[in-house]
Amino acid sequence: MRPWTARKAGIACTLALCGSVPARAQTLPSEPIAFADGRVTFGGDVSASIAPDDTGFFNYTDYQHSALRLLRIDFTGSVKAGDHLAVLGEVRSENVESPRPYALFLRIRPWTARQFDIQVGRVPPTFGAFARRTYAADNPLIGYPLAYQYLTSLRPDALPANANELLAMRGRGWLSNYSIGNPTPHSGLAIASAFRWDTGVQMHVASGAIEATASVTAGTISNPLFNDDNSGKQVAGRVVVHPIVGLVLGTSASRGPFVTSAASRSAVGEGHDGDFTQTAWGGDAEYSRGYYLLRFETIVSDWRVPAVRAPLIEGPLRATGTAIEGRYKIVPGLYVAARIDHLGFSEIQGTTSRLPWDAPVTRLEVGGGYSIQRNLVFKVSFQHNTREGGRVRTLNLPAAQIVFWF
Amino acid sequence: MNKKKRTRRTLRTQRSSPALVLPLCVFFFVSLVPFASFVRGRAAVLTAAAAAGGTIRGRVELRRVASPVERRPNVSDLGAPLARDVSDRLRSVVYLEPAPRRAFEQSQPAHGVLDQRDERFVPHVLAITTGTSVDFPNSDRIYHNVFSLSKAARFDLGRYAVGHSKSVRFDQAGIVRVFCDIHSHMNAFILVFSHPFFAVTDEEGRYRIENVPPGTYSVVAWNEGLSSESRPVTVLDGGAAELDFTLR
Repeated sequence: MRPWTARKAGIACTLALCGSVPARAQTLPSEPIAFADGRVTFGGDVSASIAPDDTGFFNYTDYQHSALRLLRIDFTGSVKAGDHLAVLGEVRSENVESPRPYALFLRIRPWTARQFDIQVGRVPPTFGAFARRTYAADNPLIGYPLAYQYLTSLRPDALPANANELLAMRGRGWLSNYSIGNPTPHSGLAIASAFRWDTGVQMHVASGAIEATASVTAGTISNPLFNDDNSGKQVAGRVVVHPIVGLVLGTSASRGPFVTSAASRSAVGEGHDGDFTQTAWGGDAEYSRGYYLLRFETIVSDWRVPAVRAPLIEGPLRATGTAIEGRYKIVPGLYVAARIDHLGFSEIQGTTSRLPWDAPVTRLEVGGGYSIQRNLVFKVSFQHNTREGGRVRTLNLPAAQIVFWF
Repeated sequence: MNKKKRTRRTLRTQRSSPALVLPLCVFFFVSLVPFASFVRGRAAVLTAAAAAGGTIRGRVELRRVASPVERRPNVSDLGAPLARDVSDRLRSVVYLEPAPRRAFEQSQPAHGVLDQRDERFVPHVLAITTGTSVDFPNSDRIYHNVFSLSKAARFDLGRYAVGHSKSVRFDQAGIVRVFCDIHSHMNAFILVFSHPFFAVTDEEGRYRIENVPPGTYSVVAWNEGLSSESRPVTVLDGGAAELDFTLR
């Protein structure tokens, strides 16, 4: 048996065993597995999504994976060593591929009476609101917000030599290639990644209605890394206030070099590793009451890229992603939801025209979910995607998903 | 002018009303006497019957106490969550199955309370009769969202803040699992019975079901979703039957 086949068979067996539990218990287990008086806890979620082929690559998270055609299996674990220390981790597999570590960090609480924590390792994102939400339970729809998923044409390891080269890649973020750096075609970056976490140190403090978080990490919000590939670190901060019950207001900022040392040297030579940064600012709000929930999030990101040849790429490349979503529970176990989402880009001057450096995208997604039991949810959604450029300009995509968590 | 006349007529009617009301009241109370004595007599019969019943008492021993539901290990949290749920898992429910026929004759609508406090439901187990309304006050400074998808009661109370409360009336017997949509570790049980012959044990596991009409019954003990085998017991008029259970 080939290794990958053995792996898939192993995962299939695990799933089959998991499936046999409900037969005994008559319902699917809904509580995390705990040992040693709760010091060791395991949880997980499984989501399976189906949709027609996304010919416009609107929902691709890299060249191989579409968020609408994905079997995602997550296992999370927590090991507490007293009141001060805990190790948390998450392993994720997509489409039954080999599992990848998604998070692994040490949480230190120096004073048990104070809400002050230090996290070291592959830590949760400091920036923004969406990336920290539990996908299975807390995303009312199937698709992701564009700012966290849509692949722009910009890459950290390959750079356009001039504005024309960048404009030629408009709407081709799923597989772009440039003349400087890595010549192999590869997928570009989302404004902020919801699929990888960064590595570094994070501090979080909460007091009453205010929370603050700061971190220093190896990558950037668009390109989180395990091993640093340039000499700079990203600094990120976030402040959250809860002015009234049900209202959460947050703002985030981050700055760090995103271009790899190799690409940077190919473009402008030695000594400029830290010059090509991603600087981002974000604002988010959530309000809930009774049966409805409203969310708003906007992210503005500026990427600095080297100016190599004419026509030069002037100034930073800006992308702005804005999403508004709402959910309303109609009857117990049944809800409807909608999200309107737009991704816009700053304009640059090419030889013949002045255009946004990537093709702006708008997405409307409507759908709903039905809880078969409290931790088994069936969702359906319908997406209408439009793009002002690229091969496919408009695409409608229905999708269905089943989500189970414990 | 018309208005004045109407007002005067109204006043006249009001002035003359005591003269009419007095005999009417006398007639009403006189006619009530036989009915009241019938009701009193009926109540006395019921009270006597209830008082004449027996008692089932005993202890439920838990070999292994169900551990509290842990929080899901949410790696997305930027800091450590609040302390774990320490809801009381020691209390069991003991009940007759099936209930005496007479149990269904008396149905008194009642009220129960399931508080949301420190990210847990208090009490963790609530036993009520059908027709009971249960209040779900929120005593935390954060939102909670009480819901249940149980067959016996399917409801969702939405999100409401501290100091507010919503109620649900339980009309169908069965076990209702109650959760919070925001805090997945919060859970509680409401056991809804169509008769009053049940008891929630104390922390030592002791229980006492009183006023059980004489007869032979099956008794079941329940703890955290686990039921014992039903055990027979004979209740004598004015007597006390002892019945202990061991669970897990």
